[in-house]
Amino acid sequence: MPFRQVAMSGLIDAFEANARGAAATVDRIAGSPAAVLAAVEGALKDSPAVVLGPGEFLPSEIMNALVELPGLVREPSDEMLSRADAGISSAFAGIASSGSVCVAMGPPLAAAASLLMPLHIVLLCADRIVERPRNLFTPTCLGGEGFRRNLVLITGPSATADMGPLVRGVHGPHQLRIFVLE
Amino acid sequence: MGTAQTQAAPPESPRAVANKSERQHLLKAIRMALSIQSPAVRSNTQTFNRNRYRATRLLPDYDALKDHARQIKARSIANLPQLIAQLEKTVRGRGGHVLLAAGAEEACQYVHDVCVRHGAKLVVKGKSITTEEIRLNHVLEAAGMEVAESDLAEFILQVADEQPSHIIAPAIHYSRERITALFKRKFQTDLPLDTGEELTKFAREILRGKFLHADIGITGANLVAADTGTLMLVESEGNIRMTSLLPPVHIAVVGVEKIISRRQDMAPFVELLAASGTGQPLTSYTSFLSPPLDDPPFALPGKTRQAREFHLVLIDNGRLRMRDDSVFRETLYCIRCSACLNSCANFQTVGGHAFGGETYSGGIGGSWEAGTGKLENARFSELCTGCSRCVNQCPVRIDIPWLNENLRNRLNGAAETFLPSGILTTITGASENDQSAPVSKLFFGNYHWFAEWGTRFAPFSNALARWRPARRAMERWLGLDRRRTLPPFPKRTLVSAVNAESLPRTEGALARAVLFADVFTNYGLVERGLSTWRLLRELGVDVAVSESVPEGRAALSQGLLRTAAGYAQRAASLLDHYLDQDRDVVVIEPSSLAMFRRDALHLLDNPEQFERLRSRCFEPVEYIAKLIEKSGRRPEEFFDLGRSPVGKRVFYHSHCQQKTIGCAAPTEALLRAIGFDVVTSSVECCGMAGSFGYKKDFYELSMAVGEDLFEQVRKAEEDGGPRTLVASGTSCTEQFHAGMKRQVFHPVELLAAIVRPAGK
Repeated sequence: MPFRQVAMSGLIDAFEANARGAAATVDRIAGSPAAVLAAVEGALKDSPAVVLGPGEFLPSEIMNALVELPGLVREPSDEMLSRADAGISSAFAGIASSGSVCVAMGPPLAAAASLLMPLHIVLLCADRIVERPRNLFTPTCLGGEGFRRNLVLITGPSATADMGPLVRGVHGPHQLRIFVLE
Repeated sequence: MGTAQTQAAPPESPRAVANKSERQHLLKAIRMALSIQSPAVRSNTQTFNRNRYRATRLLPDYDALKDHARQIKARSIANLPQLIAQLEKTVRGRGGHVLLAAGAEEACQYVHDVCVRHGAKLVVKGKSITTEEIRLNHVLEAAGMEVAESDLAEFILQVADEQPSHIIAPAIHYSRERITALFKRKFQTDLPLDTGEELTKFAREILRGKFLHADIGITGANLVAADTGTLMLVESEGNIRMTSLLPPVHIAVVGVEKIISRRQDMAPFVELLAASGTGQPLTSYTSFLSPPLDDPPFALPGKTRQAREFHLVLIDNGRLRMRDDSVFRETLYCIRCSACLNSCANFQTVGGHAFGGETYSGGIGGSWEAGTGKLENARFSELCTGCSRCVNQCPVRIDIPWLNENLRNRLNGAAETFLPSGILTTITGASENDQSAPVSKLFFGNYHWFAEWGTRFAPFSNALARWRPARRAMERWLGLDRRRTLPPFPKRTLVSAVNAESLPRTEGALARAVLFADVFTNYGLVERGLSTWRLLRELGVDVAVSESVPEGRAALSQGLLRTAAGYAQRAASLLDHYLDQDRDVVVIEPSSLAMFRRDALHLLDNPEQFERLRSRCFEPVEYIAKLIEKSGRRPEEFFDLGRSPVGKRVFYHSHCQQKTIGCAAPTEALLRAIGFDVVTSSVECCGMAGSFGYKKDFYELSMAVGEDLFEQVRKAEEDGGPRTLVASGTSCTEQFHAGMKRQVFHPVELLAAIVRPAGK
């Protein structure tokens, strides 16, 4: 398990190593709308139906670019949500020590896009990576939002060891692809 | 374990032996677990255990986190009534509903009524051991609802109709092969189900439909914050997220002990719980939800979209009574991580269907079963040997062996006094308070008396111990298994042997010490006592030897608490006299040392007396290592490996309690520094665990536990031949004798053989 103890510098490196250790994929990309769109499109190639979750932790120009994604289902019905192929979330935070992404629940589609589809894509702004889970519980971290919001810390794809060997991909997403926007 | 008994009787179903208020059920459950479940439980718990050691080592502030977590729990339980009131107000203020249920019936009725009010046909559940405790599924199913357990382990148990065998991995006793066979049989399917992936896909497809169509979702919670109503939900599969987020109605069934005052106080538990439980930095999902959420719930075509509704059902069911109990209050600190299960050698071997009751299992399980049900339901806590390996693993520092010793004490006290017990109490000097204990417990708890008289009458007593009719009688009346070879009583005790040596006083002593003549060394392994005494003298220590008295560890392990306290007090007073002479105390038998370093905290009236004793007591090699360090010289200057009569290849097994009190490492380090080629065991306990392995009821289990240790020896000898067996504990030595039929040395015996004569 490539868990690394974290110095304040190198947060992104530690995040990347630990997220990979938890079986997520991590790519560091430029934070421009074109770069994000290209990266997400590349990740989506086998996913005809895509659901875009709320983009409250992304610059609006990136959200505007993502709306152009081929295969994006606009205003999906619940029936559509239950059979879409991929969901995209914007991360409220990243946790370096565990390689987790933190997604806020509550706004429409936030839960569905991070839970129901086999592929989950998370866009994480590099400056939202904090050192350890406890940082989220301090009123000064990321505007104190972590102190108040409904949140989920996601560490790798869903997994189980209940059927004998470790199996990745159970009820939640089978793949977690994280793009760190620098 | 292929014993004749297990082959003759068909194994019981786990349900049939879940309730262990009857002793026979415990024995049947052990046989069932050894014959069927042991390989899967062993492999799965030992994986958790290794991962936990690794994950906690990577937490830079692990000890501080544990202190912080314990502080939060202690404060929360102290303020529990106020916190319950505050939480009720918070949840209602957010538009949710709350019930504080006094018992299981009230809680189930409430959940039932909510479901009926919504016309629920399908209820989906996340893993919740608290709903197992209150038997919620039975009530809902009896009312005609379908209850879908969505955690894959709970799904397996629902298909198999079995109770959980582990707190966080309830189907840990199932191997992949047994799950395949179960699913093929129950679902009558031709689908290939021969890998973990195939089995997971099969269950996922059944359950996906349940999530999407469920009318009600029921979860537990790992913690609840009174200030915000936030639930902390920890999982890996995503089923708890589905259950709490998709259906219009979310019911959280939560024991009141899960309440803490503030959401920010969840912080230390996030990492601690994952590291202590599955041994991961974090599990796949850790949710912090303050329901009801704002976004609309899921509704497939044909269903009306309802507003979200949230019900918090707080369960008392005996918890507030536990809070009033000065001993069992600590149980409420438990965060249900399962570290005490995974680090327990007995649990690793039989799992929670033997070492567990109808709901809870493992070291902490007895207190939960007794607290939420009847005292007798905790009878399985007999399988806690007091080895103490769980103590340092508990993220909130609960002294779990102490809880189990108290359970044993109360179970002893609940029985009628039987004449032989009364006689044993009188002749051995045990406390009258303990005279209702079974004869077997009084025998093992007062072993010093038998050892003293056995030594007086040696070798006659040794011949008696080998005489079959006598062994049959001892098995019948004392519960002492006749398959065990009893350690022979010596011709002379350690104390008399030392007095016979009459050497001159050590001049210009480097240090002053007293060798505590513990019962097991004085009346048993005298050689290791003499080696220690000679070695310390050779190293320039002025050594006295104490009178031999029981220190109470044996009595404590049998739940004879007043007796143990009396013995501990007497031993502490004896040692006080030496401490006043500025002598350090050296104790050979690690369990006796554990009494002075750990257990006596509960038994001595004066905390200052305990603290002085604790800080001045040492394991022999630990003490020698300190002397060497103080001398500023290197270990090789004191010891010459070339003189070793047993060569340099050794296999060292440290005693369980020695590990817990932190004095196994000095032996390993010193042997290596001198140049020995050391392989150490990584088992938590040898399985003998004091008197445990001598008991007829537990002989098979004890030997099954020992098999892990024997296997490690065999592995360590693959690379170039035999290794000398070295063990620090008396009972570990006996277990090695039983399992490997080989000579075993104490580390001091190796050292005494190679010490360079003073000044050379």
